[in-house]
Amino acid sequence: MRLTILLSSVLLAAASMAEAQHVVVPEVLPAEKHIPTTAAKWEHSIQAGLNFGASAPLSIPDNIRKINVWAPTFAPMIGYEVLHNIDRKWAVGAAVKVDMKGMYIKDQVMYLPTIITTDGGGKFEGTFSGTNETHVRNSYISLPVHVVFSPDKNWKVKLGLYGAWLFSSNFKGTVSDGYIRNGGPLGEKVEIDEASFDFGHEMNEFDWGVQAAGERMVGKKIAVLANFNWGMRPLFPSSFEGMNFKLYNMYLTLGVRYYLPSF
Amino acid sequence: MKKQYASLILLLGAAAWQGCIKDEPKNPEADIESFVVDQASLAGNVTIDQPNRRIQVYLTPEAYQRGIAPVLQLSKGASSVPASGDSIHFDKPVQYTITSQSGANSKTYEVLVVSLGNRYFNFDSWVQQSTDKYEYPLEPDGVQLWSSGNPGVALSGVDKDPKAYPTRSTTDSYTGPFAAEMVTREGTPLSGLVGIKLFAGSVFLGTFNSQKALAKPLEATEFGQPFSGKPKRFTGYYKYEPGASYQDKSGNIIPGVSDSCSIYAVFFKGPDRLNGTNVLSSNQIVATAILKDGSARAGFTRFDIPFEYVSGATMSGNMMLAIVASSSKDGDLYKGAIGSRLVIDSVNIIHE
Repeated sequence: MRLTILLSSVLLAAASMAEAQHVVVPEVLPAEKHIPTTAAKWEHSIQAGLNFGASAPLSIPDNIRKINVWAPTFAPMIGYEVLHNIDRKWAVGAAVKVDMKGMYIKDQVMYLPTIITTDGGGKFEGTFSGTNETHVRNSYISLPVHVVFSPDKNWKVKLGLYGAWLFSSNFKGTVSDGYIRNGGPLGEKVEIDEASFDFGHEMNEFDWGVQAAGERMVGKKIAVLANFNWGMRPLFPSSFEGMNFKLYNMYLTLGVRYYLPSF
Repeated sequence: MKKQYASLILLLGAAAWQGCIKDEPKNPEADIESFVVDQASLAGNVTIDQPNRRIQVYLTPEAYQRGIAPVLQLSKGASSVPASGDSIHFDKPVQYTITSQSGANSKTYEVLVVSLGNRYFNFDSWVQQSTDKYEYPLEPDGVQLWSSGNPGVALSGVDKDPKAYPTRSTTDSYTGPFAAEMVTREGTPLSGLVGIKLFAGSVFLGTFNSQKALAKPLEATEFGQPFSGKPKRFTGYYKYEPGASYQDKSGNIIPGVSDSCSIYAVFFKGPDRLNGTNVLSSNQIVATAILKDGSARAGFTRFDIPFEYVSGATMSGNMMLAIVASSSKDGDLYKGAIGSRLVIDSVNIIHE
């Protein structure tokens, strides 16, 4: 929460600073000198990239003993962005993106508490020790807003927030080669060859977070970009008891941007 | 080459995470995993009933008088009072308290000596399992000879209510206050995920091995208790009403098929128990007594079935007896009719 307040105030301060400069600019110098010659006041661009990262706990709980494999899945991002240049160095921007976030993980867990519920009211509570494999692939419509700082004409640094709406969710996998204890650590041991789980429909439908990006022009119209976006809201609501730790979206987007002709 | 890069990336990915792995948590588990008694003291294999935290030993009369010094295997890091290898005597109740390595958890197992004299079962004394709330019968001396499929059903997320389980007590008895009631019930949403659409009620002489309940369900029902003497006839009382619609494993209704119950006794060479895969086919079997007609019986009906001895089979060492009753004959294959109800009471093994 504190981070949120801090970020918001940074954004507000940046915006008002930019606004103040914007207001005083015409009185001091001709406006066009403050707007980069290569960029119009409004800049429109389309972007595409791939997301790499994890939907993971901030700190790995001691129930997770070993990560055997972690792999990004094919998780593309496409989007449209508009920037409003305030002066040569500062701009504000907003975008709309279709963002897929996913990963595959295989890990060894020990005494992991879980409660599995089904729509029909079935409920099983216990602790699992063994192998877990999870496939995550979630699709969001995300709306980032950011303040943009351009130290020179090739570079842009962006800092902001995003809100994201989940429109398609996939969070499923298997537990295998282990055992579950009925009710908790003192319950009887039940061996598991393989059992599957699917928590996709239990996820939070809204995510929001912070994002920071760096971009570099590599041509007249094309830039390469790296955008780190970090969800502040857990993937699952607090009522969800399938695992005893909270997962957050932490993804790095690597991609390209193409600036559309001004209109 | 591409493949090598891919695996390199995956390994680096895993390695990056590995740095964040914390120290292993201390073991919160407190099981007696095995309870080993000198073979010369035993008249049958030791059973550990994990859900009910009860260890049953079948001792020779000398061992019963002298006491035994069991060697325990515990959950990793756990400790026990009394310690493994200490002598125990049966002049007073014997309990083992196991404390987990984490120190946070402990559980107490009760040790019971089973006498081999029980041959008459009237299902008049029932107790409730403490956490999952299913019922099971106890003998007058407090030992547990009968089990059911209930511990397996408990894993499927049924309500924690004795009546939610397919096997329970009923006051609809032939003699005494209670009888054993088995009612085939529908599966749960959770059991449906693993393809189980139906649970038949069952009682059997033996133990339920929860450890195998999900991975190898047919092997989880371990049939038989030590038995002395040579059984001649298997008698008792039952009533049976099949459910309305017979269904196959997938839950499809099969028209024209009526459910039937099964009641049988198997006399076999121990000390290894039979299970759902071999209870009627094992070469350990010496004799069987099987109810041939499992169709409907409105009122309590007596059965009296002679044991048929397998020709050439010989009795040797630790003999055992299994009695099995189920409200759906094919319940082990998850086939039957929901609502089929079997009640049995006053079961007796008449022997020479």
